[in-house]
Order: sequence, then C-alpha cells, then structure tokens
Amino acid sequence: MNPIYMAMVAIVPIAAGAVTAAFAMRRISVTALDGMTRQPEIAPQLFTAMLIGMALVEALAIYTLVVTLVIAGKIIV
Amino acid sequence: MTLGDVWTVSTTGWVVIANALIVSAVLVAGGRFLARRRLSSGVPEGRQVFGEFAVDFFIKKARGMTAGHDRSRIVGTVTPFLGTFFFFILLCNLFVLVPIPIVNRPPTSFFSVTLALALSAVVGNLLLAARFKGPGGALKHLFWPNPMQWVSEFTDVLSMSLRLFGNIGGEYMTLVLVAAVVPVGIPLILHVLGLIPSFVQALVFTLLTASFLASAIHQEEHKKKAKRRWFGRKQAEPAAQS
Repeated sequence: MNPIYMAMVAIVPIAAGAVTAAFAMRRISVTALDGMTRQPEIAPQLFTAMLIGMALVEALAIYTLVVTLVIAGKIIV
Repeated sequence: MTLGDVWTVSTTGWVVIANALIVSAVLVAGGRFLARRRLSSGVPEGRQVFGEFAVDFFIKKARGMTAGHDRSRIVGTVTPFLGTFFFFILLCNLFVLVPIPIVNRPPTSFFSVTLALALSAVVGNLLLAARFKGPGGALKHLFWPNPMQWVSEFTDVLSMSLRLFGNIGGEYMTLVLVAAVVPVGIPLILHVLGLIPSFVQALVFTLLTASFLASAIHQEEHKKKAKRRWFGRKQAEPAAQS
C-alpha cells in the first residue's frame, strides 16, 4: 500500500490514546494530591494507590502504542 | 535504522534466552550471598537486614490475603511466588543500563518473555487456588460469582503482558532510535527517565497478580457462635478471628 496513507493512519491511535490517557491521569493525580494535602500522614498509601491507578490507565495508552508500532513497522519506503 | 528493524527483533532468538538466563543467575547468586552467614532469629545484622527488608513486603502481602487456620502454609507458598515475579521483572528491566551491546536488550522488551510471565502468573493463580481450595474450588472460582470470570482471565493475560512489553519495549525502541541519531547525551536522559517505569511496572505486575490471587484463594474468616448456657446468661460473642 501507499506508505503515505499508512503513515497517516498510524498517527491516529497513538494520538487518541495519549490524549485520553492524559486526561484520565490528570484527574487521578489531582484527587491524590488533594487527599495528600488534607491528610499528610497517609500520603505513602495515597502515593501507592495513585501509582497503581496511573499504571492501569497508562496500559490503555500502551495498547494503542502497540497498534501504532505494528502499522509503522510495516511501512517500507 | 528504521522502526521495522527494531520491531522485528534485529537480534535473533538466542538473545532472549541468554539474557533471561543471566538475570536468573544473578538472582540466584544474590539470594545465596544474602543467606550465606548464619541467620539469627533474634536481632538481625548486616546483610540479613537487607534480605529481611526485601522479603518483608511480600510476607505482609501474603498475610493480608489469608485468614484462619491454614495461614503459615499459604504464606510459605505465596511469598516466593510474588517475590520471584517482582525481583525477576525488576532485574530484567534494569538490564537496559548495562553498557555491553547485546546484553543491553532487557528480556522484558521481548513480547515472548512478558507473555510467558503473564501466563505463568495467571496459570499459577489457578494452580494455587486448586492447591488450597481443591480442584472444585478452582473451577468454582472460574465460574461462580461471575460466570464470565474465565474470559477475564484471558484479558488479564493480555493486559499484563502488553503493559509490561509496551513500557519496557517502547523504552528500548526509543533508546535505539534516538541513539542512532544522537549518540551522546540524550540517551543518558532517556536511561534515567526509564528507571521510574522499570520499578513501577514490576510493582504493578506483582500487585495485580497478588490481587487476582487474593480473589482466587478467598479465605473466609471463621466466626465462632455464641455458647448458650441453659441456666445463666448467654456469653457475649467473641470477636471474629482475624
């Protein structure tokens, strides 16, 4: 197939995945920081929970990255 | 060097096994080094402190998911299960820092290795459930409170393997492609930034395996019934065993 079309198609999944993950992670980190400000003594537990939440959301962005890499790996100029 | 070269494993298959074996050898040697001196069950000192610190997290996690009579047997089996995953994945991820060219590629940047790790985590959960609750208990876990739990196991395999592969493999691919353009300076920043996902992904893999295991070997707490005396007041119910 035409490599220009393949490159144009390959951009869509990673862009959508990264933006959506960024919005979700914003919400997670804002909530975690609010909780840490309110009650600093449980800050380590909140940090652990925040890390796990971020890793799970980031996994969704990584699925889209894998799709992009598969398409981009098939582009032969 | 194009993305296709990096993606299609520009090194051949023996690299996977060789790197993974090097990681295993380092782990075994490290374990023997930590346990070499006489271990004291009183006040620990020296390298025993480090060994206990490393193992303590998993013992607490294993204790948290058990309740009741069979505790020490379950803790004795679950702790090395979780600890092995954590230390193996952590050491594999940190292999990207080694400056030797072929040993450079971390084993977890191959999808085959992460798929094998995720499969052994999920199948290991089922086997441990079969061991502690009997084979009927494991089947019941696959179908009872959620009849589509068995589908959830497949998606767990995919998600855990893809998460680990995407993070570490993506970091390695970025490093190779950037180093082909700018050999000095910027790869150092990428190495440093890549340390954080290495630790976090090892921790997340272990914690997710632990939470799936906790739901698979769900131990119920046994409550004692109040004894009723025929000629006096009823005894107060004792608190539930923790």
